[in-house]
Amino acid sequence: MTEPSKDPGLTEVPTVAHRSRLRTTVETVLRNRLAVVGLVILGVLIVTAIFAPLIAPHGINEVDIANRLSGPSTDHWFGTDDVGRDVFSRVVVASRVSLQVGLISVGIALALGVPVGLLSGFYGGKLDSVLMRLMDILFSVPAIVLAIAIVAALGPNLVNAMIAIGIVYTPIFARITRGSVLSLRDAVFIRAVRSLGASDARILIGHILPNVIAPIIVQTSLSLAFAILAEAALSFLGLGVQPPNPAWGRMLSDGRGFFQQAPWMAIFPGLAIFVTVFAFNAVGDGLRDALDPQQRSVIEARGVGE
Amino acid sequence: MTGQPVLSVNNLRVSFATRDGLAPVVNGLTYQVAQGETLAIVGESGSGKSVSSMALMQLLPTPPARVTGEALFEGRNLLTLEEPEIRKVRGNKIAMIFQDPMTSLNPVRTIGKQLIEPLELHMGLTGNAARERAAELLDAVGIPSARERLDDYPHQFSGGMRQRVVIAMGISCEPDVLIADEATTALDVTTQAKIIEEIKDLQDRLGMALIWITHDLGVVAGVADTVVVLYGGRIMEQAPVDGLFDQRRHPYTRGLLASLPVPGRNRSKKLNAIPGLPPDPLRLPAGCPFSPRCVHAVEVCRSDRPDVRWPLDDHAVACHFDPDELYV
Repeated sequence: MTEPSKDPGLTEVPTVAHRSRLRTTVETVLRNRLAVVGLVILGVLIVTAIFAPLIAPHGINEVDIANRLSGPSTDHWFGTDDVGRDVFSRVVVASRVSLQVGLISVGIALALGVPVGLLSGFYGGKLDSVLMRLMDILFSVPAIVLAIAIVAALGPNLVNAMIAIGIVYTPIFARITRGSVLSLRDAVFIRAVRSLGASDARILIGHILPNVIAPIIVQTSLSLAFAILAEAALSFLGLGVQPPNPAWGRMLSDGRGFFQQAPWMAIFPGLAIFVTVFAFNAVGDGLRDALDPQQRSVIEARGVGE
Repeated sequence: MTGQPVLSVNNLRVSFATRDGLAPVVNGLTYQVAQGETLAIVGESGSGKSVSSMALMQLLPTPPARVTGEALFEGRNLLTLEEPEIRKVRGNKIAMIFQDPMTSLNPVRTIGKQLIEPLELHMGLTGNAARERAAELLDAVGIPSARERLDDYPHQFSGGMRQRVVIAMGISCEPDVLIADEATTALDVTTQAKIIEEIKDLQDRLGMALIWITHDLGVVAGVADTVVVLYGGRIMEQAPVDGLFDQRRHPYTRGLLASLPVPGRNRSKKLNAIPGLPPDPLRLPAGCPFSPRCVHAVEVCRSDRPDVRWPLDDHAVACHFDPDELYV
């Protein structure tokens, strides 16, 4: 092997060589059409959530009894519900709840699961056994049943629903993190850093975490979708957002009784859930492909061919 | 041996708890190394050479590892230092270079960040000062346009270049002892020669003691002042490099040297291999660990473990016999 600096033929093309990991990742994601669609939808959703009160043409609890159960029209785009409230306005405002629940509950799951996985994978032994058995217990109970139990114990409201969903998804993050840490714990470069005098905390945060972040990011985007579904399910069961505040799951459940006369009451919130979950999944898939080095080279090779 | 020893290892023993019992991997290793001196530890894989150096730095997970003995450095026993104390030694006073340059760098951090790490840890350098020093270090190990390369990732370097980076990290705090664990084994011969030269050069400049762990006797001949030959976790022979190569007092040393290819020798002739395999640490022979493979072994070799003898002032050997009794 000759030294590349002295042999220009062997050095990588400088434009490739000096690209940062972040930039390469972003570029690879943008090459995935489905992920781009997902990103656009998410962008629209976020804007909608932020400016919901300005976008909604009617108040969420503005009752128009005369026009109850009327179909989509220019005045009520998504129709009205059984007490004459504008479905479009409610769907728009409910996007806030869904995104908020998604972000906060996944945030809770991340904040609990990632440290558990890091410590468990890094130290192994008894700590690992105890922590992972705890996670297994959480994992063995069907997620929605566990969430229902937690909400039942804490009382039905939005905050408790978020805590419940966060706890339910904690073991997923713990497991993913632990698995990746295990494969790194005995890596030569970790031994090398230790031989340079780094402390455990420094090794964990500075060296191991950045190496396991890719699967965590992917899982985050996928979990956001599941969390939104879980919130919809909890609200559907009356355990999440309490009336008269709107939530997609709640609206779906309310619309069920009127499905024959007014299908729009259930279809539009259902569609909102579907589109949001789809968007998060598409972005998650795109990220996974971009962050998995083997996949990445396949995608980059494809890009070169085009 | 020159001057006072910087590091003296006495009766170092390392064993691992396994399902089948305690496996002794290093059994009573003793050596000293002085400032500016190069000590080579030679042995086959499994002879305990890497484990012994990891043990010095408390880098082995305990359990399953059990380490006893003494490693005196600056008047303190490295093996019993508390974690915060040993951390101040690692990378600062004693540094290590690992075998595989492809895996001894963190793939997601830039070279610069990784070089700055020991500087931050031990010298309190941060920001531009640290960056400046990192660039100097890269320059010192012969990486061209060092400053621009600080922001590159490990995968943008070739194997030889990466090993230079690893060496730069090793010497960044100007350690008193540098342990090179098969530091050039993964490299091709020309790169290997350059890296060895580089390390020797740095040793002269910084006056480090160098512990060179290898299985390659060719490298040993080129770098070492003193050689320790390990087999089954025990010292078989220890001598200044010339004495060792000339006298080959131990049959194992003789076997190792005989198995080297000699330029010009009839190519159709097979290399002289030592028959058999290194011993399983769980089933070490009762007598001399090398006895099952030794062509000269007699009853006493199988029953009694030979002690380390010093037939010459600077030459130790663990064999029941003198060379003139064996090689007629």
